[in-house]
Amino acid sequence: MNVASIIQFKNVTKRFGNNPPVLDNVSFTLERGKFYTLLGPSGCGKTTILRLIAGFTEPSEGEIWFNGQKINHLPANKRQVNTVFQDYALFPHLNVFENVAFGLRIKKVKKTEIEAKVKQALSFVNLDGYEYREIREMSGGQRQRVAIARAIVNKPEMILLDEPLSALDLKLRTEMQYELRELQRRLGITFVFVTHDQEEALAMSDEIFVINNGKIQQSGTPTDIYDEPINRFVADFIGESNIVEGKMVEDYLVEFVGKKFECDDKGFNANEPVEIVIRPEDLEITTPELGRLQVRVDSQLFRGVHYEICCYDKDDNEWLVHSTKKAKVGKEIGLSFDREAIHVMRLGETEEEFDRRLETYADKGDSAQWKVN
Amino acid sequence: MFDFKGFSMQWYRELFHDTRMLIIVLNTIIVALLSALFSTIFGMLGALAIYNAKKRQTKNMLLSLNNVLIVSPDVIIGASFLILFTIAGVKLGFYSVLLSHIAFSIPIVVLMVLPKLMEMSPSLIDAARDLGANSWDVLTKVIIPFISPGIFAGFFMALTYSLDDFSVTFFVTGNGFSTLSVEIYSLARRGISLNINALSALLFLVTLLLVVIYHFITLRNNKASGLGVQKR
Ligand SMILES: Nc1ncnc2c1ncn2[C@@H]1O[C@H](COP(=O)(O)OP(=O)(O)OP(=O)(O)O)[C@@H](O)[C@H]1O
Ligand SMILES: [Mg+2]
Repeated sequence: MNVASIIQFKNVTKRFGNNPPVLDNVSFTLERGKFYTLLGPSGCGKTTILRLIAGFTEPSEGEIWFNGQKINHLPANKRQVNTVFQDYALFPHLNVFENVAFGLRIKKVKKTEIEAKVKQALSFVNLDGYEYREIREMSGGQRQRVAIARAIVNKPEMILLDEPLSALDLKLRTEMQYELRELQRRLGITFVFVTHDQEEALAMSDEIFVINNGKIQQSGTPTDIYDEPINRFVADFIGESNIVEGKMVEDYLVEFVGKKFECDDKGFNANEPVEIVIRPEDLEITTPELGRLQVRVDSQLFRGVHYEICCYDKDDNEWLVHSTKKAKVGKEIGLSFDREAIHVMRLGETEEEFDRRLETYADKGDSAQWKVN
Repeated sequence: MFDFKGFSMQWYRELFHDTRMLIIVLNTIIVALLSALFSTIFGMLGALAIYNAKKRQTKNMLLSLNNVLIVSPDVIIGASFLILFTIAGVKLGFYSVLLSHIAFSIPIVVLMVLPKLMEMSPSLIDAARDLGANSWDVLTKVIIPFISPGIFAGFFMALTYSLDDFSVTFFVTGNGFSTLSVEIYSLARRGISLNINALSALLFLVTLLLVVIYHFITLRNNKASGLGVQKR
């Protein structure tokens, strides 16, 4: 356990009754002062991970370490962690000031000190002057900020946020994303943020954990995960993707939709079946003669920044294209893309195997764009 | 009977000179206050126990037991208490009346407090523990303030139930101890005296006052339930 790590899960499994485990042998390490995001579909176990860290529930198997100390059975009120709850959980019988002061009052901090700290925390979240409002007089976004102030005022080592922005409208949500990220940088506290919104995760995080069915599918920086998804689930969940089946003919040569393409991937067996990911924004519309793929435009949606164009090739594979240019529905068009746009995924590869394979590229130094973590 | 000739304070004056009557009024008030106080405490603890029951079965069983006491007729409750006290050898009088009043008020308090507990989002308790509160802090700083409208309502319900109870008290009282309702009953049987009318008028005013207080409490109650926590 190194100095930078603050929390560590060692083979943690969580079961409720005799049901299949909600978390299945999960291991990870979080470093001090970073912004982490847990991303995954509903019911995948995100809240359960937060509850394990906060101490509201105990793991069925495995160990949880905090600052070099095993904390499996440490009660929640003894942990240096504060939570911003999915439903904010503000105390309705207390006003804004008293809500924020709750933790300090429990710790028997001096009155003058409480006053100063609460004021400071409220101004952190831009709520100066709201001290004596009742909670019911606050809007959803303001309540959320009260919940954040209530967590940060205790200066914990770690703050857990459970989908705190899910109730807000798009504009307020984007604003709060900036504010939260900014706040985390200013305070230098470790944040663990839960969301099932992939754009939110990409925009805010130092590192993302993509979770499905109680297992961590992939972890890494937003660009790592977006550019090099490890499997179909991650590719599908993070952004839109075109995923087709193909086979790896040899190193740097892959075959799909009946054609061979040069690519940047290697380390596969000859003729190994693989899956190919091409992001919609990497596809460019040209004439059928110039295109590397020939497709027919099926439908088109205007998305504001771009058109989302849905096409089918002659094998009935769907191709999603994001383009600023309009296409004509029913017309035959060509799609062109760079060799870097092709991302090859090995079937059923785990994260460790994936990382090991990436390392072999780096060792030989022949593929500069691979990032190894 | 009497011809109405105008208002008079005479019977009130007489009432207030009747020390026996005054002692009975005092007894009634003391029994009501004490039984309301104790039944509120036990009722609240009972509601917390039902709320915290882990198994659904235990929860339902406790709730049904509670409801049995509410639906059973006063006469049966009174008779049962009489049998119980006689078997247990409790002397009939102040304590037997107080105990039975506490006993029949507890289920009422439970019924007033439990919905408030159910209304409370469990994440409030998690939040308090998250902020460093131990179990005592959670109880006194979060749970009790949250359910306090229910507690007040329960207290006043218990108070009124105790004040106007006749049948149960009639069974378990004895040794010269009497409450207002029992006393009025025996006075009325002896023949009409205008003392009773004066007493009834006073009783009516007190009850009215209690109803008004209760009304304001429920008002506060409704206001409180619209508060901050959003439930999903
Ligand atoms: N106390 C419990 N008893 C039984 N099952 C539970 C309990 N708590 C959670 N679960 C189950 O654990 C799984 C994961 O729940 P969790 O709350 O962690 O999901 P989540 O990823 O936070 O989902 P969401 O995005 O919908 O909030 C779910 O299938 C849920 O039904
Ligand atoms: Mg959740």
